[in-house]
Amino acid sequence: MSKTNNFVFWSLYIVAWVIFVGLSIEAGGLVVNFFFSLYKPEFVQNLYQKLDLTEMYKASRLAFFGIYSFILIVSILKACLFYIVIRLMHKMDLLKPFSTFVAKQFSQISYYTLSIGLLSYIARELAKNLTHYGFVTDNLNQFWADSQAFILMGAVIYIIATIFKKGVDIQNENDLTV
Amino acid sequence: MPIVVNLDVMMAKRKMSLNELSEKVELTLSNLSILKTGKAKAIRFSTLESICNALDCQPGDILEYANDDNTKTTNR
Repeated sequence: MSKTNNFVFWSLYIVAWVIFVGLSIEAGGLVVNFFFSLYKPEFVQNLYQKLDLTEMYKASRLAFFGIYSFILIVSILKACLFYIVIRLMHKMDLLKPFSTFVAKQFSQISYYTLSIGLLSYIARELAKNLTHYGFVTDNLNQFWADSQAFILMGAVIYIIATIFKKGVDIQNENDLTV
Repeated sequence: MPIVVNLDVMMAKRKMSLNELSEKVELTLSNLSILKTGKAKAIRFSTLESICNALDCQPGDILEYANDDNTKTTNR
């Protein structure tokens, strides 16, 4: 592999680390927000992202827990996705990239991406429906604005992962031909 | 896998070690070991030819077809 490609690879590795740290902080912040909005709603204004859903909690607990669980699951899944990407980039041997490990990680990445996309899409539709009942859900749009992009990306990665897996199988078979 | 490799049997009959066969056939020890342990997915005609030549036998002496029922019975 040329030096330029290596440079791009390691730059992307660093970017992936930065994104992973950011997403972990976001997920952690949302978990803290969740507990504060349950027990000490007055502190929510001083917390990370200031996600205040106390009005929704007072109006309907079902809507609050439903929406918040979607937010938490999506943010945790995003952090997990980037953890897999980092692990893949860290463990992958650039001289022999076609291994079972890499094929498995690709499949996992596609499943996580599709799950994030689908859950975000469902959550967005749910939030849209809640507005009909008088709930204000404008501040939630930031969490699922890119749902369709995730679904599309997940589908593309799934196709690549399937082809990659088949390629690794053929290579293994070829290696075991004496 | 219904194809059983009887390389070890033929080697024992000819009293030939894996090292000796490896030198005669010009195959690596690891590849011969893969073949002997039945892990090989396929075998090239050229490899089969050189093994038959080295062991002075027919391909049928090395390869055997046994369906699952036969394999189970044999294993018992």
